Amino acid sequence: MNIENTQAQMRKGILEFCILSILEKKEAYPSEILEALKKAKLIVVEGTLYPLLTRLKNSELLTYRWEESPSGPPRKYFTLTEKGKMFLKELNNTWTELNHAVNEITQTN
Amino acid sequence: MKKTVSVNIRGINFIIEEDAYELLQQYLDRLSITLKNEQGSREIIEDVELRIAELCLQKLSGNKSVVELNDIEEIIGIMGDPSQYIDEEDTSDFREKSNEEKSTTDHDSEKKLFRDTDNAVIAGVCSGIASFLKIDVVIIRAIFVIMFLFAGFGVPLYLILWIIVPKTKSTIDRLRMKGKPITVETVREEVENAAENISKGSKRFAQQLRNDDSYSKSVRNGLRILGTLFGIGLVFVGIAILIPFLIFIIGGFEFIPVANESGFVSFPEFGEFVLTNSSDYNLMVTGILLAGFSIIFFLLLSGSMFIFKIKNKWAKISLFLLFLSGLTGGILAGIVGVRTGKDFVQYTEIEVSVGTVDTKNLFLFPQERTLNNEGEKFIKSNSTLSLMEVDKEDVRLYGVSIKYLPSSDSLFHISKELSARGRSQNAVLERCQNIEQHTEIAGDSLFVNTYYEFPKEDKLRDQEVKLIIEIPKNGTVRIKDRIITLDGIEPNKEDFHREQDGFLKGNGKYKHYN
Repeated sequence: MNIENTQAQMRKGILEFCILSILEKKEAYPSEILEALKKAKLIVVEGTLYPLLTRLKNSELLTYRWEESPSGPPRKYFTLTEKGKMFLKELNNTWTELNHAVNEITQTN
Repeated sequence: MKKTVSVNIRGINFIIEEDAYELLQQYLDRLSITLKNEQGSREIIEDVELRIAELCLQKLSGNKSVVELNDIEEIIGIMGDPSQYIDEEDTSDFREKSNEEKSTTDHDSEKKLFRDTDNAVIAGVCSGIASFLKIDVVIIRAIFVIMFLFAGFGVPLYLILWIIVPKTKSTIDRLRMKGKPITVETVREEVENAAENISKGSKRFAQQLRNDDSYSKSVRNGLRILGTLFGIGLVFVGIAILIPFLIFIIGGFEFIPVANESGFVSFPEFGEFVLTNSSDYNLMVTGILLAGFSIIFFLLLSGSMFIFKIKNKWAKISLFLLFLSGLTGGILAGIVGVRTGKDFVQYTEIEVSVGTVDTKNLFLFPQERTLNNEGEKFIKSNSTLSLMEVDKEDVRLYGVSIKYLPSSDSLFHISKELSARGRSQNAVLERCQNIEQHTEIAGDSLFVNTYYEFPKEDKLRDQEVKLIIEIPKNGTVRIKDRIITLDGIEPNKEDFHREQDGFLKGNGKYKHYN
């Protein structure tokens, strides 16, 4: 049991939740998602995002479309699928519960 | 001063310092090794390449035009080490797996056939095979050249392999081609080896734009299998046509059952005495070859495209060109067909009198052809002589028809009607006169040859011989054991216009129509 492993495990679930939340607000391409995640200091290296996005897409929670960019390579714009929205709703509930639970426990200590 | 190379990352061109390029290439190769057990690893790498392209563009803003080593170092810092891509839990999983099951790794490094475009003369087919078989490439090339010289198969085989064998696209492909294990060390080694041979490899981006939409997977798989089966069918048909086509048309295989010295004539020979002149003949052969090869290659190429999911522009352009050349071939052959057809427009018959016989019973003796030259052969089918024979100068046809008419006096009148077709009346008349058929009267006997000849230059133009026998009242014609009287031939109008009443076959048998 090392600290990094535990942190990584904690971050993993939250990262997926956050990606879905970002995409719930608006369609975005990876660089925009990265910007938001970096701002929130949730992600250290950008590489981590890509396997996650692919996995979410393969689980049919996300879908994407290509769009030409005026200044660079074409962009993959991701959006939530219906399934993704349902999934996020569940995660939101869980998050509220967990948040509540963690707060209660950490504060009582 | 530093050497630079030009690379294409996801459709964007960059000028990049050579050492920076090597670093980036290594990074991507290491990434693909790290991710090889991850689902959708190819897609992840493509996404990463997109991001790298974006970051490179950011570095290039202003008047800076070359991506430098420290830019790439920085970008790699932003993206993170390949090991950081997969979160700890999964990574440890992966490590355990790779230690326990070495077989996975072995499977991945299984040898595959690629085209080695870096050592190519044409498209790298030979060098790829050589690499696969671990044989000197000179031997493979020699085999292809020999195949081309002696059987002509080398070229189509090469083209097919060119189309179906993928070229190496990455270092990992190159390792697979050579059958080396895929490890971080071998990848690095291979990258260093290949540093000078930079393939720009356009990534077929447009295609991806279209294909990546979220179809239902099962439908896609089903279609894929159907497509593959369809492709295999097309290739199979192509090969099935190719082989006989090569043998019959190109190889001059004598398969049309016409008797000459060797028994059969080939398609080109047959064309020679049907078509009007040598330019028509050449045109026809060109047309048939063009159409035939176009159809065959069209089938092979489109089949391969189905099987191997090839969708690139060049393959499609080739298909279109093959279609056009096939059409051209068809039109050429059609033109010759029409021109030859014109040579059949006019029909004429001439009547040649043989003589009269004063008798009550006329005995007709069919004369079969006797073999006179040594080594002469007949083609027999159903105990009938062949319909046609060819020697150096003449064409010989078998079968003479007979028509009976009532005589206007008490004598038998025997005559021959020779007919042919041609472009003009004069040409036809000449053809008719060139027909030689021997019929001889001796006492009350009539000796009739069952065959007739005409010069090869006259071509096959429907040349026919009809023997006309006018029978007096109460007279009979006896052919073997058959007795023909005027009773059987009623002189009413309908019967009068009958084309023929009987037919002498090549083998001397008589057939009476009634």
